[in-house]
Amino acid sequence: MAGLIFSSEARAQFAAIARVRLRLFVNSLRTIRGRLELVSRIILGAWFAIFGIGGAIGLAFAAEYFISEGKPGWLAVLLWPVFLFWQLFPVMATAFTENFDSSNLLRFPLSYPSFFMIRLMYGSFDPATALGLVWTLAIAIGIGIAAPAMFVWAATVLLTFAVFNILLGRMIFAWLERWLAQRRTREILGILFVLLIISLQFIGPIMSRYGHGRLPRLLPIAMQFVPLERILPPGLAAESISRAAAGEFFFAIGAMVLQCAYAFAILWLLHLRVRAQYRGENLSETVARRELPLRKLAVSPGWSVPGLPGAMAAVLEKELRYFFHSSAMFIPMVMPVVVLLIFRFTPGTSGRGGSFLARAPDLAFPAGAAYALMILSNLVYNSFGAEGTGVQFYFVSPVRFRQILLAKNLAHTGILALEVSVVWITVCFLYAPPSAAITAATLAGILFAVLVNLAAGNVLSLYSPKKIDFGTFGRQHGSQATVFASLGVQFAVFALAFITLFLARAYGKIWIASVIFFALAAIAFAGYVLVLSRADQMALGRREVLTAELSRT
Amino acid sequence: MDAAAISTESLTRRFGALVALEDVNLRVAPGQFFGFLGPNGAGKSTTIKMLTGLLAPTAGRVELLGLDLATKSVEVKRQIGVVPEGMALFGRLTGAEYLNFVGRMYGLDRETAAKRAAELLEFMQLADQPKALVTDYSHGMQKKLALAAAVIHGPKILFLDEPFEGVDAIASGTLKAMLQRMIARGATIFLTSHVLEIIERLCSHVAIIHRGRLVAQGSLEDLRAGVEAQAATALAAGSPADAAPPAPGDKLTLEQIFLRIVGGTRPGDQELSWLG
Repeated sequence: MAGLIFSSEARAQFAAIARVRLRLFVNSLRTIRGRLELVSRIILGAWFAIFGIGGAIGLAFAAEYFISEGKPGWLAVLLWPVFLFWQLFPVMATAFTENFDSSNLLRFPLSYPSFFMIRLMYGSFDPATALGLVWTLAIAIGIGIAAPAMFVWAATVLLTFAVFNILLGRMIFAWLERWLAQRRTREILGILFVLLIISLQFIGPIMSRYGHGRLPRLLPIAMQFVPLERILPPGLAAESISRAAAGEFFFAIGAMVLQCAYAFAILWLLHLRVRAQYRGENLSETVARRELPLRKLAVSPGWSVPGLPGAMAAVLEKELRYFFHSSAMFIPMVMPVVVLLIFRFTPGTSGRGGSFLARAPDLAFPAGAAYALMILSNLVYNSFGAEGTGVQFYFVSPVRFRQILLAKNLAHTGILALEVSVVWITVCFLYAPPSAAITAATLAGILFAVLVNLAAGNVLSLYSPKKIDFGTFGRQHGSQATVFASLGVQFAVFALAFITLFLARAYGKIWIASVIFFALAAIAFAGYVLVLSRADQMALGRREVLTAELSRT
Repeated sequence: MDAAAISTESLTRRFGALVALEDVNLRVAPGQFFGFLGPNGAGKSTTIKMLTGLLAPTAGRVELLGLDLATKSVEVKRQIGVVPEGMALFGRLTGAEYLNFVGRMYGLDRETAAKRAAELLEFMQLADQPKALVTDYSHGMQKKLALAAAVIHGPKILFLDEPFEGVDAIASGTLKAMLQRMIARGATIFLTSHVLEIIERLCSHVAIIHRGRLVAQGSLEDLRAGVEAQAATALAAGSPADAAPPAPGDKLTLEQIFLRIVGGTRPGDQELSWLG
C-alpha cells in the first residue's frame, strides 16, 4: 500500500494535481471577478488568523489552568467546541455547494491507494482544519506548560483526536458529495438544511421561555448525558489525558484505543465511499426508457386565466410550476409564519410583558406581511435567475418582454397574496384578528411596496441577472449589485411605511395611513408602467448579458 | 433585397477588438435545405444567433421572409423555429409542460398546443416518461425535445445548431425524415453541423464561413465545380498533388471541398511520430 502511494508514478501524479490546482488559481486571477475573490479571501484569511490566534491563546491558557488546578477532566469543555467547529463550520460555510468532482481523475491510471490519498488530502487544507489543528496544538502546549511530563502523552492523544477529525470531515464531505450528486437526494438535503436553520431560530425563544429559573431542574437531566459524552471522541481524548494524569495508565490507554477505533470506523466508511467511486459507480439520474403505453398519450391543456392572453397565461403557469417544483424556492415562504410564532413565544426582556408584538399585537399583521414581501424579493429582483438556458427562448419567441415580465409579476403577486392571507390567518390564531383599519392600511402599504419592488425588480432582473444554481441549496442570493440596490429600495419603502403607520397609530387615525399608502401606490403604479413600457428596449439591449450569465455552466 | 427566405446584408459583429463576423452576405431561397459550415471558431454560432435575434449585429441587417428582423421582430419570430446552441429548455418542467408552454408562446390555442405536444412526444419517443422533469432527460432526449419545441407551431424557417449531436441512430433517422418532409412542404431549413456527411446527405445548398468571412456559397454542385476548376488551374500551374482534381468519374466529397476551401490539410507524416 505504502509502496503504491509513494511510488515515483504516484508522486508524479500528486505533483501534477497540485500543479494543476495552482494553475487553476493563477488563471482565475485573469478576471476581475477572480481578483476580487482573491481580495475577499485575503480579508477572510486575516479574520481567520485573528480568530485562530485569539482562540489558540485562550485554549492554551484554559488547558494550562485546568491541568494546574488538577482538573484535567475539564479538558472536554475545550475539546467539544473544537470538535464541533471543525465538523460543522465547513458544512455551514460552504452551504452544501457542489464540490470538485474527483471522479474526473478516474480516467487516469491512478491506483486505488493514490486515489484514496487524493480524496483524503483534497479539501483537508480548509480553514476549519487549519484552525482545528492550531487549537489542538495550543491545548497540547497549554498542558505541556502546566505539566511537562504529560506533554508527550497529551500530544499523542491530541494527535489521534486531530486525525479522527480530519477523517470525519472527509467522510462527511464524501457522503455529502454522494447525496448532492443527485437532484432528489440534494433536494431532500436542502429541505433538511432549511428546517435545521428554521429550528435554530426557536432555540432563543425556547431557552428564554423554559430555561429561565428552571436551570436547577434541567441540570440533573443534562448530567445524564455526561457518561455518553465520555465515550465520544472529544470526551475520550479528555478522559485519556485525565486518567494518565491520575496514573491510571490502563484506562488512559483504553480510552486512547477506543478513540483509535472510532478513527478506523470512520476510515472504513470513507473507504466504502471512495471505493464505490473508484469502481465507477453510476449516479446518473437520466430517466430510463420504458415500453410505450398502448393508449395514446394525452397532454392536459395549459391553464386558462381569464383576461390574460394565451402567451401570458403560459408564462404565469410556467412560473408557478417552477416555484412549486423547487423546494429551494417555496420552503423559505414558511418563514413569515415561523417569525410570527417566534415573536409569539418570546418572553419580554427587562421585566416587560412579552415581545414587542405581544405588546402591540395590532402590528403583527403589518410586520408579517412586510416580512413576506422581503422573502419574495429574492424572486422579484432576479426573476430570470431560474431560467437557465431557457432565457434564450424568450428572445426567439414572438412574445414581447413587457408581457413576459407582466406575467411573471402577476405570478409573484399571486404568491404574495396567498402568503399575506396565510399571515392574516396566523395572526388571527396567535394574536387577535387585525382590525379592519389595520388590515386596510397594511394591504394599501403592501400594494405600494409591491409596485415599487416590482418596478425596481424588473430593471435589476434585466440589468443584473444571476443564475440560480439548483445544485446549491440554502439561500440563493442575487448579484452583489442587486443585493445592494434591493436593500436600498426595501429600506426606503419600509422606512416610509413605518413612519406613516407610526404617526397614524400615534394619532389614533389608522385610516390616514391607508389614504397615504393608496396615494403612494398610485405614484408607484405610474413608475411601474413606465418601466414595463421600456422593458422590450432594455431586454434587447441586455440580451447578451442575460443569455451569457444565465446559460453559463 | 427581394423575398429570399433568409438574407443578410453586410452582417458584421465585433466583440471589442475581435471581429467575429465581417461583411457577410447570405442568401437562402425558400424551400432550401441549407448547410452552414466552418471550422471551430469561424463564426457559425455567432451568425445563427444574429439570424434568430439572440445577438445584435454591430453592422448590417438581417431579413427573414422579406421582413427586417430588427424592426419586425415579433412578426418574424412567429414564423421561425430555433434550436439554439444551449437548446433553450426549461429544466424544471416536464416534457409535456414545456411543449405546451412553447406552443402557447407561439400563439397556439390551449387544445391545439396540448394535442401537438402529445403527438410530438410520441413522435420523438419521449412519451414513456410523462412525469420526468426535463433536467432529468439524457442529452439526446433533451435535443429531441428542443427539436419538438422548434417545430410545434409549424415554422416556415427552421434554424438548427448541431441538431444531431448526441441523438441516437434511430431517432436521427426519424428526425431526418421529419426535416425532409418539412422541406417537401415548402419550409426552409438552416442547419449547422460539424458532421459533413449529414450536410452532404441532407442539404441542397451550403455556405462555408472561415475566420468570420463567407468564403463560399451555393449548391453543392456549384461548389464542387468551382473547386475542381480551381484545382485544374492550379495543376496547370504546377501546384502540389493534393490540390489535383479527382480522377474522371469520381466526385469530390463535401469534406474534400471543405478542406480545399478552408485550407485545412496538414502534412501528417512529420507530426506525432511517437504515436506509432
